[in-house]
This record gives sequence, structure tokens and C-alpha cells, in this order.
Amino acid sequence: MERSFKTEVDKLRLGQGQTFTGEGILAVTKALLQSGVSYVGGYQGAPVSHLMDVLADAEDVLRELGVHFEACGNEAGAAAMLGASINYPLRGAATWKSVVGTNVASDALSNLSSAGVIGGALIILGEDYGEGASIIQERSHSFALKSQMWLLDPRPNLPMIVRMVEQGFELSEASNTPVMLELRIRACHVHGSFECRDNLKPTFSRLNPIGKPAFNIARIPLPPANYSQEKHKIEVRMPEALKFIRDNKLNEFFPGELSGIGIILQGGLYNTVIRALQQLGLADVYGDSRVPLYVLNVTYPLIPDEVSRFCSAKRAVLIVEEGQPAHLEENINSILRRADINGPQVLGKDLLPMAGEYTAEVVLGGIGRFLNLALPDGVDPERVEAVLEGVVRARSRAAELLGSPVPVRPPGFCIGCPERPVFSALKLVDKEQGGIHISSDIGCHTFSTLPPFNLGNTVLGYGLSLAAAAGISPNFGKRVVTVMGDGGFWHNGLSSGVANALFRNDDGVLIIMENGYTSATGTQNLPSTPGLTAREGSPINIESTLRALGVKWLMRVDDYRVGKVADALRLALGTKVKGLKVIIADGECMLERSRRTRPIIAAKLKAGERVVRTRFGIDEDMCTGDRSCIRLSGCPALTIKENPEPLRTEPVTTINGGCVGCGLCGEAAHAAALCPSFYRSEVIQNPGWWDRIAHGLRLKVIAALAGRGRIREAQE
Amino acid sequence: MNEQAVRPFTILVAALGGEGGGMLADWLVDAAIHEGFTVQSTSIPGVSQRTGATTYYVEIFPAPSTGRLPVMALVPSPGGIDLMAASELVEAGRAMQNAFVVADRTTLVASTHRIYATSEKMVPGDGRYAAERIISAAPQLAQRAILFDMLRLAQEAGTVINAVLFGAMAGSGVLPLSVAACEAAIGRGGKASAASLRGFRLGFAQAAGEAARPVLRSGAGAAMANVDDRVHREFPGVLHELLDRAVARLLDYQDAAYAGRFLDRVHQILAVDRETEGGADGFQLTREAARLLSLWMSYEDVIRVADLKTRGRRFARVRAEALAETGQPVVIVDYLKPGIVEVADILPPGLADPLRRWARGRPLAFALRLKTSSIAGFLSLRLLALLKPWRRKSSRFLMEEATIERWLAALKRLGYASLDRGLALEIAQCARLVRGYGETQRRGRQALEKIFTTLLENEAAAGPGPVHLKQAIRGALTAALADPDCAPPPVVASGGKDRTVVWLKAG
Repeated sequence: MERSFKTEVDKLRLGQGQTFTGEGILAVTKALLQSGVSYVGGYQGAPVSHLMDVLADAEDVLRELGVHFEACGNEAGAAAMLGASINYPLRGAATWKSVVGTNVASDALSNLSSAGVIGGALIILGEDYGEGASIIQERSHSFALKSQMWLLDPRPNLPMIVRMVEQGFELSEASNTPVMLELRIRACHVHGSFECRDNLKPTFSRLNPIGKPAFNIARIPLPPANYSQEKHKIEVRMPEALKFIRDNKLNEFFPGELSGIGIILQGGLYNTVIRALQQLGLADVYGDSRVPLYVLNVTYPLIPDEVSRFCSAKRAVLIVEEGQPAHLEENINSILRRADINGPQVLGKDLLPMAGEYTAEVVLGGIGRFLNLALPDGVDPERVEAVLEGVVRARSRAAELLGSPVPVRPPGFCIGCPERPVFSALKLVDKEQGGIHISSDIGCHTFSTLPPFNLGNTVLGYGLSLAAAAGISPNFGKRVVTVMGDGGFWHNGLSSGVANALFRNDDGVLIIMENGYTSATGTQNLPSTPGLTAREGSPINIESTLRALGVKWLMRVDDYRVGKVADALRLALGTKVKGLKVIIADGECMLERSRRTRPIIAAKLKAGERVVRTRFGIDEDMCTGDRSCIRLSGCPALTIKENPEPLRTEPVTTINGGCVGCGLCGEAAHAAALCPSFYRSEVIQNPGWWDRIAHGLRLKVIAALAGRGRIREAQE
Repeated sequence: MNEQAVRPFTILVAALGGEGGGMLADWLVDAAIHEGFTVQSTSIPGVSQRTGATTYYVEIFPAPSTGRLPVMALVPSPGGIDLMAASELVEAGRAMQNAFVVADRTTLVASTHRIYATSEKMVPGDGRYAAERIISAAPQLAQRAILFDMLRLAQEAGTVINAVLFGAMAGSGVLPLSVAACEAAIGRGGKASAASLRGFRLGFAQAAGEAARPVLRSGAGAAMANVDDRVHREFPGVLHELLDRAVARLLDYQDAAYAGRFLDRVHQILAVDRETEGGADGFQLTREAARLLSLWMSYEDVIRVADLKTRGRRFARVRAEALAETGQPVVIVDYLKPGIVEVADILPPGLADPLRRWARGRPLAFALRLKTSSIAGFLSLRLLALLKPWRRKSSRFLMEEATIERWLAALKRLGYASLDRGLALEIAQCARLVRGYGETQRRGRQALEKIFTTLLENEAAAGPGPVHLKQAIRGALTAALADPDCAPPPVVASGGKDRTVVWLKAG
């Protein structure tokens, strides 16, 4: 991790009365320190990576407070870390990307929530749902329900988020239950400010260690404690939680003059609901609404008497609940039925979509339909209709004028990415072999499933690609290829993939993309990251790990040598050797590499040292526009432009100024025998005397040999 | 409820990864804070560094703080954007598509340059989105549209496009921030701020109308000099420019006699054109056929490649592209991989045929990284280029000449017989199949041969009439030009964009 978070770290030091200004997820980080945490763990992933990155850089701050920070091996590890709060009065926090991270963590979470905690345990979930999400779309809410962990969904402004972190710990301790705090992507990245308090030194920490073990058989999930734990959740912890939430007013009631109707909403959707009401002329700029609102900053558990109180005298209530199943709606209906409140019509997923993100447009539509159904006095249905129709009209007018939808632009490999050439090679070999089954994993390399590669048949989870090949491998009739990143390898792939494949003598081919970092999450360090800082100094190495496990067939190839990678694949697919064949595709993440080398090169240039700058080019008078090269690469720098030859009407392929000279273009041109248009140019900056003499000599000789017409051109 | 006239000013920025959209949002926030306004920004940055399309959303409450904070949205509302900024043309189109550009409210500020999406680039030929529709739709959809090439200005200023875009946003006059506040925000940005400031000012001047409007380049370049008398003496005026270019290309490729042969062939096409009343549409048949013929007759063999690679103009172009400064030597390494076939192509048939027979089933090719900027490298290519006079005796030349004659004969025969311009145009289009190198060239040639034997030279094929034949040729041509790995993937009937898993049979 070469990026520095120094500015952000400084914000963690702010004290009482000072104003913090910055991102939501950093406000959470600061709030953890204000709450007196003893330890923080997690596994990186958008949108919570920054929490981890900043703490990783905040050594000094953490040392002064005695807080331990751990970048865990995976989310299960991070959740298991919270076990420290089961027996000891230690406050701890864990964070990850949800729902995927919660899936991985769920074994530990079930055990944690069953045993219960005495030190506050807070789980910060970065809810990767909706626009910009890169994972399966499910809601984390269900985990809260099944394990009885309380779920906070605060209004997305910094003061409220910070308050919920602080009170989340109190709630956790009051009810002996771990608490989850759910933040959507935009809430993690929202820029705002809040008034700080001083950081709190935890009572027990590395500065003041506990020293004495606490043993309590009631905390172990074996009979009979496992049965009593479940009862304890329902009979003791739940009532305590309800009392705390009610007494501390974690949920908020906002009054409104249209008292016959009301809206119950998740705290995280508050701003979107207010904006919709503003558009309909029913709320002012400060959020004062004519429609009464019941804002659930705690979405599990619901407080039955609060729900009853809000709904009892109303004709109609709308529930704005993002995600499915509709847990809130079902729960509210059940609460009202049990309380024998049958007056209000409860609407929700019948007016709003069951699945998908609740964008501004979706919420506006839902509230508009609700108003025109409930018809409160003083709301003009025609105005509501006009607002809704305005949006529809704008959309259809644009569609009509544009003619066809604009092309999509999904994320892809960066310019110079070492993984792209591996897939160029795999695409060539796939074609030769008449199709290969490819078991893909999670990471930047999942982009291979998108055009122009379209490689990869399944994705089953982080580090699970090799395990996912176990079923298809014996039933396919040809060797199956598995792709796994070094991130996935350490996350899960080593045990559930490699060890097991060796154990049952699987005959497949495993490509490990060793780029040195968990690049897709923001290039965090791994156990095998080269050149770690002294603190993190690690002797771990993927190749020696594999050999120690007993991998016999192993090749290490340079990612950028497409031909060599293709040869290695051919060998692995064709060899008579049985058992797992591993190809380590070796190439450092280009983002990190350039972050590391940029200052070095700048310093050399400044010092007048010789530096060669490389890039690739295409001779535009030779390109005939069949685009084979683009279909083998997809590099953003390899693109098209107007053809300078007017006789050719189609665009010409070109390499733009973004090229970093990784070499893929030339390698692919060779490996696939594409065309002779590609060349590499090397600019010698700060040339030495020999460079200058040789260059001058070459120019003269070339000019002399080239004929008169060429002399002038060459010297220009 | 407090009826208040001031509402938050909403800004949506659409950008691509690596364009500094995050920095631009930071500038806006910083400037607004220094103006004493309440401001909020959000983003979806997950994919931003990986070249995907992304957006940044900023709301500024342009009133002095009263102690009570306004509630601002985290998501942009369709129809609710005051200032829509896009760093690229298709991203502006995407914003329009999502109803973020509306006539009663939105000022659109966008760059007109294109960064092509993979789906546009990977198609053989031309797969570009018709972006001119975005330019024409912009003023119709927006309250005001300010469009110009910001990438060019960014390059001029030696900065990233975000600075120019920020300048254009400020220059539009609707941003509730003073120019001083914007510039100060950039100034606090650290080491690259001088270049950013230059970019900001260029963008500002352009958007505020202070700089001269950019002159749109007309498609046609400068008129060609009169290369060959014959063109002007023998052909209608509408063809002069095109034929001049073609003749110049063939003079460069071979010699005057060869260019003359080209014009003789164009005469034959023109005769068919006249017969089908081509004068009415400016001799479109002749134009298209002559254009394709000139490219066909200047096919790329190793002699041509060697010639083009060793031109002085090329060295200059490479230097410029690599941004080499005076006094910095530039090394050029060419990636060449000639195969036996390419060698056989330039040998006379007597030598080429046995070589081709021998090479069948031996996919031999020589991967060369030739240092063309070295004396030895340059010399070897130069010597190869000197074989130009011998090209006329090469096996490929003779084969192309024979194929061209067959093409021309079919064009004339079927053109005269049917007097159907559409059919003649379709036959002319078959020349597009002769293109490229290696595998691409081989596939194109096979497809052309098949069209000859089954359609153009097959009496039976002409039986059902020209319309039928025309469709058959069009179908064969489209199939041959589409790359097999370019075929759209199958789609699950119910699932919209989902791709089906293609189960492969066990080999």
C-alpha cells in the first residue's frame, strides 16, 4: 500500500469541540476512537476500505491510546476477533463489505451472538447494494434476524452516524449482544462534518492488559449452554435492547400536519424521502415535512409500542424499505395485528418495487402513488401526477432524441495491468482447445468475464474458484482451468481450494494471479506482499507454500509475456502428469508499481540521470481496422480514431497517450501473429555522451543510405 | 413547514476513472466551505480507478449559515439537477438518457471528445456510437448547453481534464461560487495546482465566451494537387478529388503505369455507372468501387510494410507521439512476425508454389523485434523495400491482379445485365474482403472465393433476379466481415442482460 493517508490520520487526533470534516467512513473511524475501543479488525472492500487504510496508517495514534488494529485474513477472522468481547469488558469493532463479507463471517457471527458479549461489539457493514455495487445483491438484514444481532441504519449525516457508533456500543453492552451498523455506499463516501469529542483510552488494552482468564461454561456453545443461550437471547437480551432503544430514543418521530397518513422508513433512506417530499412540495429545505415520519435508525429489533403509537390513529402508512425480503413490512404488519390495530392501511412493496435500489426516482414514484391513493386533505393529486410525469417525459424525450441507448462502460483492467495479458493468452489457448471451462474467482481478474475476453464460466465467492472446480472437473472430460488471485488464495483458496485439490488429487490447472496486493479493494497488503514495512515483515511466499503442500507441477511466468503464458497453459493442459498443476502468473499491480516508481523516476530525471521512457504505437498507414488486437486486449489506451487516410472510411486503431509501455500490444501481436503495425518507442531522457554520439551517427548513416528524399524527412 | 425560496444547488459530475472526478468534487466542496455555504458531496468511487463510468454528486446550499442545517440528498434526482457536468460526450449522453438534463433547470457543461467504450472499439470496421446525436440533442434537452473539446484544452494546459471541466462549470455563470473561491480551492490542492489553474482558466474562458469559439474542422483535408492529368481530362468533376488521392497512393505504392492501370479500370466501372444513370447520385458506384479498388491495388505486403516503416515522416511521427524533446534519442522497435506465406507472397510463382506446398501444415513464422532505428535494422527493411520493382512479378501481385479482373468482370457482366445499381454496389463492396494480414486476410480471401463461385460466377444464382442476388451477397458479406468472437452472446430470455452459461461438450 503506497498511498498515504496522512491527512486523514491527522483528523483522528481532533479533540473536544473541534470540527471534523470529511468522509462518512472516516467519521466512523473517529467515532470508534471516541468510544474507547480496545481493538479493531476487518477485511477490506469497498466501501469500508478507507476505515482499514487509515487505521493501518495511524500507528502513532493507536499506540498512544493502546488500541490494537488488525487487518484480518478474511471476514470470518475479523468476526472471530470479536470473541474478545465475550468474556472481557473490551470494546471491539469489525468491518467488512456486506453482504459478501457477512456471508464469510456468519459462522463466527452465529457463535458470537449465541454466546453474547459483555464488552461492546460493533460490526460496521459497508452495504454494497445498488449503483456501483460489484457483488450479488442481497440484504444483510436477514443475518441480523437469524442470529439476533441488532441492526442500526442511521440517517446518513455525520453527526447521526457518529452518535449511532457511540450508542451502538452502549446498546451492545446493555443487551449483551453484538450490534451491526449498516452504511450504504454513498453514506460511506458522503462528505460532511461533526463536532468531535476527545478520544477515549480503553480501560483494558495493550497498555493495561487483562492478565487473568475468565472462564464461563455458559459462553460455550455445547449442551446445555447452547440451549440456554438461545433462550437468553429472547428472554433477556431482546427486552433489554428494546428498553435501551426506547429510552435513548434511537428511533425518531418527526411530526407533520397531515396526521391521517405517515411514512415509516429506514434511517439510511431519510434524505431520499425528504428530497421526494420536497419535490412534491410537502417538505421544506430543512426537512420539516407535512407528512409525519417515523425514522428507524434501528431496523432490528422494531419497538412494537412505537410502531403501534405511530400507526394507530392513521388511515394509511407507507413503509419505505429497501431490499428484499420485506422484513420490516412483514414485521410491522404482524405487530399491528397482534396489537389489534386494524385501522391503517399498510402499504409498502405494493407501491414500491420489491427488488433493487431505492433511487430518488423510485422513492418519488412510491410516495407519489401513496399520496394519490391515500388522498390526504390539502395535497393536490394533479400536482403529484405532474411531478411524476415530468420525469417520465424527460426520459422518453431523451430516448427519442438519442435514437439508441449510449454504450455501457463497465469497469475493466487498468492500463498496464499485469492480469490483462494473462487473459490474452488464455483467450488464444481457449480458441485452440475448442473451449475451456474456466472457474473464476473474486478480484480485478473477474473483469475477464466482460468483453472483450468473455472468459470465465462461474464465480462462487472469494477464494472459492478451485473449490468450485471440484464438481465440474471430474465431469468435464477435459482439464478445467481455475483462476484465483493472491487475495483469494490467502482469503480462503489455500485451504478450501489448494489443500483439498491436492488431497483428492484433482487433475486441474490453477492460475494464481500474483500481483502482490488485494488490488480490487484498494491495493492493501497481503501476507505475500513483497517489500513490506518492517512492522509487517513477512516471510510468507506463495510458491514455497505450494511446494511445501506438495504441488509437483508448478511454473512461474511473467504476466506480460503472452507467448510464454500461453505456452505454460498449453503445457499444463497437455502434460501427462496427474494432479494439480499450478501456474503462478507474476506481475505487480500497475497502480502500486507506478505509485512506487513515479517518485523514483522523477528524482532520477531531476538529478540528470539517464531514464528511458517506453510506450507503444501503431503505424496508422498499416492498420486495416479488423480490431483483432483490441479483442485480445481491451486496454483503455488501445483505441480508435478517425482514419488519416481519406480513402479508408473506417476508423484506425491507435494507442493514446495513456500508454505505459507494458508490452502487451507487442506480445499479443507476436503471439497471435496479428499485424506488423505495432512498434515500441523508447525515449532516452538525459542521454549520455555515448547515446548522443551513437544517435547522431545512426541518423547520418541512415540518411546516407536512405536516399535523398529520405534524408530531409529523417532529420526533421 | 417553512416555505423557503433558496434550495440547494445540485451538481452532478459524470466522469471516467482516472480523470480526477474525485478531485473536482473536493474542489467544489472546498470552495463552497470557504464561501461559507453548507455543502455535501457523495460518490460511487468503487470502479473509478478502473476506467468505468462513475458520478460524483454535490449539493451546495448557497445561503449564509443560520445554524439550522438543510437536508441534502445523497442521490441525484432525475429532473432535479442544476448543473450537469460531463468529462466526455457519451457520458453527457448517459446523463440525458437518465433524465438528469432537463430544459426548465439544467445547464449542461460537457466535453465533446470521445473515449470509446470497449463495445465500440472491438467491432471490426466501425462500431462507434452515433455521438453527433448527443451534440444535437444537448441544446434541445438542456436549459443551456456548453459543449467543447476539453481534452484538447487540458493537453494545452498540461493538466488533467477535471481542471478544464471545473473552469467550464464556473464559466457557465450558474455555479454559486465566486471565481476567486474556485481558484483558491485549486491553489490549496498541492503540487499540481499551477497546471490545474491554467486548465481552469482555459475552460472558464471558453465557457464564458471570452475565448474564440473553436472552429469545427471540416471533414475534408486540403485539396490534393493535380497529380495526374488524366483524372481531370477523362473523369467527371465530382470524382476528381477521390481519384487524385487514389492515384497519388498508387504512384507511391508502385509507379505511374500502375496508377494508369487503375484509371483504366475506373473507366470500366464508370461505364456501368453511366449505364445505370449514376450521374444522378454523383456516381456513387464509381466512387465506392474506385475507393475500394485503390486500397485493393495497394495491398499490404512485406515490401510495402518495409517501405512505410523506413520513411522519414514515420520517424518524425513516432518522435512526436512519444513526446521526445530535441536532443533525446528515440529507439524504435518493430514487432514483426512474417510467416512462410508472407515470404511466398513476394516470390515469383515458380518458387512460391513449391514453398507454399511445403509450408502447408507447418505454421512457421518468425517473431522479430526489429530495431528499425539502428543501422542494421533500418538497412534490412530498406533493402526489402527496394524490391518494389520486382513486386509485379510476385505471386501475390499476380493473384491479386487476376482476382481484381474477376471482380471487375462480375461487376460489369451483372451490372449490364440487370441495370440494377444496388446490385452493382453490392458487388463492389465485396472488395472489402481483401484486407489485413495473416489469418484475417486468409479468412477474407476464402469468403471472397466462395462469393465468386456460388454467387457471382454461378449462372444459377442470377436466376431468381437481382433483388434476391443482392440480398445473398449482402448476407455473405456481413457474415464474412463479422468476427466470430464478436458475435453477441446469447441472452437469457427473462433476465435481460444476464449471459447464459454455455455448456461445452466433453472433448
